[in-house]
Amino acid sequence: MLKNRRVRILIRNFAIEVLIYSVLVVVYFLLVLRLLGEPLMRLFTENLTIYAVAALVLIVVQGALLELLTSFLVSRIGLERLD
Amino acid sequence: MHFPISDVTVNPLALAGVGFLVGLLGGMFGVGGGFLAGPLMYLAGVPMNFVVGTDLAHMTGKAIVAARRHRTLGHVDIRLGLLMIVGTIPGVEAGARIIERLEAAGSIDQVVGIAYVVILLAIGGFTCWESMRAMRLVRTERMAARDALAFRGVTHRVHGFGLPPHISLPASGIESISVWVVLGVSFVTGLLAGVLGVGGGFVRMPMMVYLIGVPTHVAVGTDLFEIVISAGFGTLTHALKGNVDILIALVMHTGAAIGAQIGAVSTRFLVGPRIRLFFSILPIVGASLVILSLLGVLGGH
Repeated sequence: MLKNRRVRILIRNFAIEVLIYSVLVVVYFLLVLRLLGEPLMRLFTENLTIYAVAALVLIVVQGALLELLTSFLVSRIGLERLD
Repeated sequence: MHFPISDVTVNPLALAGVGFLVGLLGGMFGVGGGFLAGPLMYLAGVPMNFVVGTDLAHMTGKAIVAARRHRTLGHVDIRLGLLMIVGTIPGVEAGARIIERLEAAGSIDQVVGIAYVVILLAIGGFTCWESMRAMRLVRTERMAARDALAFRGVTHRVHGFGLPPHISLPASGIESISVWVVLGVSFVTGLLAGVLGVGGGFVRMPMMVYLIGVPTHVAVGTDLFEIVISAGFGTLTHALKGNVDILIALVMHTGAAIGAQIGAVSTRFLVGPRIRLFFSILPIVGASLVILSLLGVLGGH
């Protein structure tokens, strides 16, 4: 019974964590689109090498840094993680 | 929404939805999901020349998210992953060269397509049979459910291969195994991936479990770790050829990252045989998509 309750709390915490992460990835994409949309388009037509590196960096940042930021926010809120 | 790099207008929700689906599958089963994402992206309106490169870009981000989550769950064997990359890269290269030679000799699309279908159906069928048998063994012989395996004979023979040097893989619970076995298995999975033109996740994951003897959860996480490097490298090479629309990849990744988190965490609640049973559906779906493609129902393979 106690174990089930704990699992329910952990799943709820995970849902909150995913919600925070979802907001961050959407904001990140909108920022990239607004601030970097034009420069990326220019790079794509003028310098594919820098475009390729920029593309990889952008996707890695969206994957790794936002997850780190989420973990930081979750720990600040004081939620116990499912891990 | 208009994407200026590939000059197309695509519904971003459809892209995020495709991302979510393949992210969920990737997090749960350690596959890149290109077999599903490619045709779905094409159907959503992404031009064919951008499909593969853009898919690889979003796959890189998704694999980072899922691999990080699996790592916190203790499901990534970094030593095994790094060693497998050493075998996979020449395998993929050899596979690509075989295809080049065969193409020079004549049209091979149908031959590769049929081989793809046969291999995927064999993997799906075998994994389904084995996982159901393992679940039955858990019930009848009180075997530990988490890592139950109904097919240990080949794994024991593979572990008995004595050619030095040997390494231990504590994260996978393997005391000693010949380095050549790991390199050989990764070379073969790379070769199949290169010949079939897929990332290889649904070949590599069962091979890690059945041949090397890696627990299913660790095989999933380690496969994702390998996908980070292989898909990252693929993104770079495709972007240099102008085949990556990073804005489309970022939209797909908004869905994929969320799906990958959910998929990875859900493995915590599933025992190994059950993960393998659900996984066995994927190669069958992949084979069905290729059959549709060969019949001309979907776009070119």
